[in-house]
Amino acid sequence: MTKGQDARSVSIVGVGCTPFTSFEEHPETQGIGEGEAFGYAAKEAMEDAGLQPRDIDYFFHGAANPFMIGAALTPNMQVQEWIGMRGKGSIHHSEACCTGYTSLELAVMAVASGRYDTVLTGAVDLASTLPVDDAPAHMRKDFPLEVMLPSIGYVYDRAYGRPLDSAFGISFDNWVNKYAQTYDLTDDQIDQTLNALSIQLRKNAVADPLGFSTKTYEDLAHESGMETAEEYLTSAYNPKVTQYLRVSGFEIKCDGAAAAIVMPTEKAKALGLSAIEVLGTGAAAYEGALYNNEYQGTRDGAKAVYELTGVSPDEIDLFMCNDFFLGGDITASEECGFIPRGEAWKYILDGRVAPSGDKPINPNGGRCNFGHAHGASGLADIYEAVKQMRGQAGATQCAKVPETTFLRGFGGGQNVRCQILRTVK
Amino acid sequence: MELSKMEPIVKRFYEGVAKGEYWGRKCPECGAIEFPPHLMCNSCGNRDTEWVRLTGHGKLLSLVLPGIQNNKPYLKDEGKYGYGAVQMDEGPIYTFVVYGLTKKNRPELNRRIKAGETIGVHPKNVQRDGWVELCFELDDDVKESLKK
Repeated sequence: MTKGQDARSVSIVGVGCTPFTSFEEHPETQGIGEGEAFGYAAKEAMEDAGLQPRDIDYFFHGAANPFMIGAALTPNMQVQEWIGMRGKGSIHHSEACCTGYTSLELAVMAVASGRYDTVLTGAVDLASTLPVDDAPAHMRKDFPLEVMLPSIGYVYDRAYGRPLDSAFGISFDNWVNKYAQTYDLTDDQIDQTLNALSIQLRKNAVADPLGFSTKTYEDLAHESGMETAEEYLTSAYNPKVTQYLRVSGFEIKCDGAAAAIVMPTEKAKALGLSAIEVLGTGAAAYEGALYNNEYQGTRDGAKAVYELTGVSPDEIDLFMCNDFFLGGDITASEECGFIPRGEAWKYILDGRVAPSGDKPINPNGGRCNFGHAHGASGLADIYEAVKQMRGQAGATQCAKVPETTFLRGFGGGQNVRCQILRTVK
Repeated sequence: MELSKMEPIVKRFYEGVAKGEYWGRKCPECGAIEFPPHLMCNSCGNRDTEWVRLTGHGKLLSLVLPGIQNNKPYLKDEGKYGYGAVQMDEGPIYTFVVYGLTKKNRPELNRRIKAGETIGVHPKNVQRDGWVELCFELDDDVKESLKK
């Protein structure tokens, strides 16, 4: 058996995802805590698979920052009662923004090993607010920037990467910078590409009923008395805040939960369930202050998953990229072989990464537009991939229903998970 | 592990920086150096490393400049800076704050890097609250050549 290959084939048979939004700002959701949010995503996944809690053997719980955001040290214990799984085993895990992809990896390992047959894996983060000390879970308070910003650095190494300031310093721009240097692109060309990407991804998110964004950049331009989305994106409303990235190139922090249920592919077939096989996961991690860490992790993860699955890059129909700062959509789509090297920026400018295009990327809008409920975001991408592969994605359904999807999970200073999903026929 | 075989490695690194000494850990098997120092070798996967003193001099491999999102006021107080990958003369590569990088000289530095020219850097200490942060700055000859 090749290193990393599963002992038996495992498939996703059910998915669930809450809206990615600010729960406190909507009367329908105001007061929803972590237990309910995780529970609603899990319930939808169970309904999707036609299963009940009694059919699930074990579950995984993911959250990016449970101590600060959820006031919990063992959050798996605190959602267990909400999903009808009292007494059953579970594990909490936390890989910051990569959590949701690791969630799938762990669940697949648990089933592939033969230890369990049916496993639920879910993740939740109520990232737009903070819990109130000594109050019940329905009470939340503001999460001001001055509290949030210092916590971001906690994903980086406390010995060197964080105190030497470089991990946070290089993270946002270093791979795009390498790309610009390699292909002799000017700052203006990178800016135009990122803005074109923002316009497309925002359209995707607005069309997705679960997405955070409700207005396109064209809408925002018109509201501000401007003619075009490009004019708005290059205006004072959207300044550059790093060397290359504007405000539109950063995540929208929000609340959300998502879940998936996996079981042996043979069992799914026997039960007549719609199955999406998890062909494999390529795992890599490079600490945030290491030179070109996102590039190195993506290179290694992609190489690993292609080697262990035998899939060729030209078989990939859909590319999902965890892009909590834009740029990865350009660079990672090339590194993972989805788009030829040196061409992704042109594909974006030509509109080829739209759901209607031949190389769709993030039809849900990604982290800067669909929203980023940190730990839950990876599973929201898996939800989107499964819906796309079943032809159930609604307004943002890809022109060609994908049979094979590549997910580039990333985050948490910095983990990478490269995963390939394929429709079981 | 017996106490006699243990020591605080991070502490020795930062105490060295404050004295102008730059300590790494060298792998006796492959010769690679961990800088900043770690316990085991990340180049070949060997579990043993031993202390080695570096000159502190290196060369700049890449650079990005901060914006308001990734700017630090206490760094700005010391002068104009950017973030860069630095390769020490002894081989290891890590990223640091590098002083002397500006919007004006960024295109020329990028051109030189792409052309394979050496851009020398040396340590510049920044005093923090109870410890010293290792940063770098462009060598004087580089600064002079950028003025031309």
